[in-house]
Amino acid sequence: MNTAFQRLQREHRAEILTDWLQHLAAAVDRHSPHPPGLDAQRESLFDAVLTTLAERPNAHDFMLDPDSELGRYLNRLVTEQARQLASPSETVGSLLALKQRLARALLALDLSSDAVVESLLWLDRLFDALSLFAFKAFVDIRERLITEQSLSLLELSTPVLKLWHQVLLLPLVGVIDTLRARQVTERLLEAIAEHEARVTILDLTGVPVLDTSVAQHLMKTIDAARLLGTRIVMTGISPEGAQTLTKLGIRFADVVSRATLRAGIAEALLIVERRIAPLNSERQL
Amino acid sequence: MRIPILELERIVLVSIQVDLTDNDAMQFQSDLVERVAKIEALGVAIDITALDVVDSYMARVINDTANMVRLLGAEVVICGIQPFVALTLIEMGRGLLGADCAFNLAQALEILKRRIAKRGDTRFIEDEDV
Amino acid sequence: MSEHFATERLPIRSMLDIVTARHAARELCERLGFGKADQTRIATAVSELARNVIQYAGEGQCSIADDSQGTHRCIRVCIEDHGPGIPDLEQALCDGYSTSGGLGAGLPGTRRLVDEFEIQSAPGATRITIALIKRG
Repeated sequence: MNTAFQRLQREHRAEILTDWLQHLAAAVDRHSPHPPGLDAQRESLFDAVLTTLAERPNAHDFMLDPDSELGRYLNRLVTEQARQLASPSETVGSLLALKQRLARALLALDLSSDAVVESLLWLDRLFDALSLFAFKAFVDIRERLITEQSLSLLELSTPVLKLWHQVLLLPLVGVIDTLRARQVTERLLEAIAEHEARVTILDLTGVPVLDTSVAQHLMKTIDAARLLGTRIVMTGISPEGAQTLTKLGIRFADVVSRATLRAGIAEALLIVERRIAPLNSERQL
Repeated sequence: MRIPILELERIVLVSIQVDLTDNDAMQFQSDLVERVAKIEALGVAIDITALDVVDSYMARVINDTANMVRLLGAEVVICGIQPFVALTLIEMGRGLLGADCAFNLAQALEILKRRIAKRGDTRFIEDEDV
Repeated sequence: MSEHFATERLPIRSMLDIVTARHAARELCERLGFGKADQTRIATAVSELARNVIQYAGEGQCSIADDSQGTHRCIRVCIEDHGPGIPDLEQALCDGYSTSGGLGAGLPGTRRLVDEFEIQSAPGATRITIALIKRG
C-alpha cells in the first residue's frame, strides 16, 4: 500500500483527470479526429493506473500483467490509437504526460522527503513498465496491420478485367518486387487459364520501375501464357522502361507491344476479328 | 495403358487422361505417328489437360511427336496445358515446348481447320473429287 | 504447428516408381499449405531427379520430409543412388549439357525450380537434396 497515492486518489482524482484530458485534447487530438468514447477509455485507464499506484503490488520488480485490468485498458487504448494511425510517440507521450501530472501532484502533497522519494521511484517504475508495454503493443498491432494491407495490396495490384469475349485486360499496378512478382505471375496465369482468353492485354502503365527481375518475371509470364494458348499484347511501356529493358539485354521477341492501352485494344480486337464502329455507320463485312 | 486415338474426318484427336510412365509415352508416340501416316491426317490435336507434371522428358516426347507429325505433313496443336505446368516448364528453361497451343480441344480444332483451309493440298483434293 | 509429418521413404526401381515418388512429394507439399505452383514445381523436380536415377544408376531411393521450422514451412526431398556418379558436376549443371540425348534441361532446370539445391556425387554414391521453403 502507498498512502501518498491513496490520498491522491481520494482527494485529487477529479482535478488531475481533468487536467490530463484537457492537455491531451490540446496537444494530441489536434492532429487526429477525436473518436467518441475516447475520453471514457482514458478515464478507465486513469483510474486503473491510480488504483495500481495506491495498491502497489510487487513494487520492486513490477511487471505489467496483460490480463490485469490495467493491462486490458492500456491495450485497448493503444489498439485504438494504432488503428487511427497515430504515431507511437503520441501514444507513449500521453502516458508520460500523466506521469508528469501525478509527480507534480505528489510533490504538492507536503510529505516527508523519504515518502516523496519512495513514491516517485514507484511512480517511475510503473510508468516504465507501462511505456514498454504500450510500445510493444503498438508495434505488434502495426505489424499486423501492415501484413493485412500488403495482402490486400496484392489483390489490388492484379485485377483481371474481361474486356470482350475471350479478351482479357490485366493492368499491373505499383512497384513489383521480386517476391510479389512471383505471386503476380501465378495469379495472372490462373486468370488467363480460367477465362480461356485468346488475347491478353498486359498493361504496364502503372508500373513505375522495370528492373531485371520484374522484366524476367514478365518474360516468364508471357512465355507460359503462350503455352496456355493466349496471345499477349503489351501496352504502356514508358520510354525509360523501353531503354532499361533493351540495355539489360531483354528482348521481348515476337510479343506485340503498343504504346497506349488504346492501341493495344485495337490490336486485340483485330486478333479476334472484331472492330469498334460508330453506331450509324453502314454494316460492312 | 494405351491412349485411345480418335479420328474426325482427317483430323486426329488424342487426349492423355492419365499420368504416363515413360514406356506408355513411347507407346503413345509410335501409335500416334503410325495412325497419322495411315490415314494421311491433315491435323493433330493433343490434349494434355490431365497431365499435372510435365518434366523435361515428357516435354521432349511431346515435342518429338509434334515434329514427327509435321514431317508426315500434318498440322499440330497442343491444348489444355495447366497454368502451373506452363509456369514450371518456362522456369526450367525456355523453349522446352515449342508447339502451338490452345486452351481446349474446341479451340484447337478451330485453329487446325483454319490452317488446313489455307493449305494447297486440300484444294487439290477437292479438284480431284470433281 | 510443431508437429511434423512423417518422413516417407520410397524405393526408385522402375518407371512406375517415378510416378509414385512425384505423387508423394506433391501430396506432402499440399498438406504443408504450399500453393499449386509450388506443388507442381516440387513434383516436376522429383520426377526429373528420379528419372536420372533410373537412367544412370538403375535404382536408388528417395525420402520426402517435412522440415518446417517455426512459421517457415519446408519440404525437403533427398534422392540417392549407388550408380557411377556424375563425372563433371559443373558441366552437368550447365544448360544444354546432356549425355542422354535429352534437351539438357534436367539438372539446371531442376535447380531453378527449387529454393535449395545440393548435390554430392562420387562413383558409387550420388545424393541430391532439394527443398522448397515458404516463409509465413
